Amino acid sequence: MEGLDLLFKGFANSLTMVNLLACFIGALVGTIVGVLPGLGPTATMALMLPFTLRYSPETGLIMMAGVWFGSQYGGSTTSILVNIPGEAASVVTCIDGYQMTKKGRAGAALALVAIGSFIAGTIGIIGLQFFAPILGNAALSFGPPEYLAFMVFAFILLSNLSSDAPLKGFLMVGLGLFISSIGINPLDSYPRFTFGSNKLMLGIEFLPLAMGFFGITEILNIAVETYALPMVKKLRLKELYPNKEEIKRSISPTFRGSILGFFCGLLPGPCTVISTFISYSIEKSLSKTPQEFGKGAVEGVVGPESANNSAVMGSMIPLLTLGIPFAAPSAVMLAGLRMHHVEPGPLLFQTNPDIFWTFIAAMYLGNLMLLILNLPLVGFFGRIATLRPQMLMPFISVICLVGVYSVRNSIFDVWVMIIAGLIGYFLRKWNFPIAPFIIGVVLGPMTENSIRQTLMMFRGDMTRILDRPIALAFLSVTLAFIILRISYPFLRRRFMEKKCSTS
Amino acid sequence: MKKILKLLQPELFFTFLLMVLSIVIIIVSLRYGFGALRRPGPGLYPFFIGVFLILPFSIILLILGLKSKKSEPIFEKYGLRKILLMILTFILWIIAMPYLGYVIVTFVATYCFCKVMKLEGWLKPLAMSVGTALFIYLLFDYWLYIDLPRGILG
Repeated sequence: MEGLDLLFKGFANSLTMVNLLACFIGALVGTIVGVLPGLGPTATMALMLPFTLRYSPETGLIMMAGVWFGSQYGGSTTSILVNIPGEAASVVTCIDGYQMTKKGRAGAALALVAIGSFIAGTIGIIGLQFFAPILGNAALSFGPPEYLAFMVFAFILLSNLSSDAPLKGFLMVGLGLFISSIGINPLDSYPRFTFGSNKLMLGIEFLPLAMGFFGITEILNIAVETYALPMVKKLRLKELYPNKEEIKRSISPTFRGSILGFFCGLLPGPCTVISTFISYSIEKSLSKTPQEFGKGAVEGVVGPESANNSAVMGSMIPLLTLGIPFAAPSAVMLAGLRMHHVEPGPLLFQTNPDIFWTFIAAMYLGNLMLLILNLPLVGFFGRIATLRPQMLMPFISVICLVGVYSVRNSIFDVWVMIIAGLIGYFLRKWNFPIAPFIIGVVLGPMTENSIRQTLMMFRGDMTRILDRPIALAFLSVTLAFIILRISYPFLRRRFMEKKCSTS
Repeated sequence: MKKILKLLQPELFFTFLLMVLSIVIIIVSLRYGFGALRRPGPGLYPFFIGVFLILPFSIILLILGLKSKKSEPIFEKYGLRKILLMILTFILWIIAMPYLGYVIVTFVATYCFCKVMKLEGWLKPLAMSVGTALFIYLLFDYWLYIDLPRGILG
């Protein structure tokens, strides 16, 4: 019952003008960003961080989550209407979504996706609301060795799942961890890698790095690329009504996608993207008419789009209960909370329960707002897709510059952002994943603490980590993953050979 | 000789720089004091990062890169001209901002960005720059109350 009380209190807190406005702005900006090709949710969240600093941490968190959530809604619009994914998690939606548009069922697809996303979001929030406090409590018993094992698990999965080049992923994790070690080390107040520079004593701030690697990199990318402008057909509200058969066929994929997405959210890596791919293949294999997939099957649109929405909520769990972000957007959120001097983790539920419950309540409201916003305005968002992304970039560039400067009134930070952006541009061209780097930077201090404390606890004998059951469990899962990853190509070849010989 | 020339390809060169960086990290962190495993010093953690993450993976990537037959054109595909103009505009903002104040510099920089992004004519970019500068001014001065350098306008 205590949870319900706290939730009501959360609703009371979230119903303030500031929070509602933050939620609305976040949701609206998120949807627009989702619709526009180019700028992704991570860049937008980093960009908006400086503006949330004047308000309470809840308000900041609500706005950030609104952006992330909104971008998942918005991403589907362009996929369905013009066959261009607004962001990575909507790539799968293009396959059948655009085919539905060709058949004249665009309105129905958009409406079903909006409703599916709403249901998935709600299921995700309910899951978060129930699981997070329980897991938070369980995580209270985590000591440094458990954190260390968990971090190893997170980094290894993250490097593998973030791109098709795991070696580059590992290298980027290492680079991120190194960057975070620059400056005075809080454990023994020893300045490291400052090379005599006073500016480096405090270390390299996360915000300019994130804004550089996501914001400036994206701006440079868009400046160089040429876009062919898509044509968007005008939509009328009455075209939005799906027919009975479409509704019937969407119900199970929505629920399956929601539950699947939520659990994908618990994986380190780009969970929203992964969840859509898994959901699509599950729907295809469960379908009685798999031949329709790729030709406008409504299941292939609704399932993945539901999955990516609940994945956002799922990925809040490791962030809020352990203080460990598993994806780039949640790393930005963590940085935002830290700027407010709030450290998410198991203690959050005891020291700052209001933040959690206000956030949960605001997410229910935000989800509703997005549904209301998306259904009637879908035509408007469709038109935004026809904007040339280059039009917006001058504005976004100066927002980055002024925004990052305003946080500490530091020109040094602006330099860091520009250099990071330039490096990020080339890294992206060379297929080096950025997310492992940025998460490495955020988790660096925590990794160092847990390594050093574990070493001291075990008097230098690291093998004693195997005596700790929880740590052992994480390490075993990691090892199983590595073995599977290495043997996968061989197993696949064997399987294919067998299949060929039998057929 | 061919292999050494291949090292000059931007991606491989970057990987090579990372390898050098890892060696620097290892040497410098040894100087910070490694401590003992049971009482770790400040150099232990960066030493581990250098030895177990950056050094081995950069070497593997370097070897794989040198072995691969794929070779890429060195400069064409990066759109360097536009990137350079964008970066110059960013630097212009950084250098001029403390003297001229953020409103004027934002106005000029937005105009430059518009031109780099190939917005046609002068009216559209001008309208956009005035709008952006005004928006930034209102946002920071009236809404967020953040005191930014006003330069000659102050």
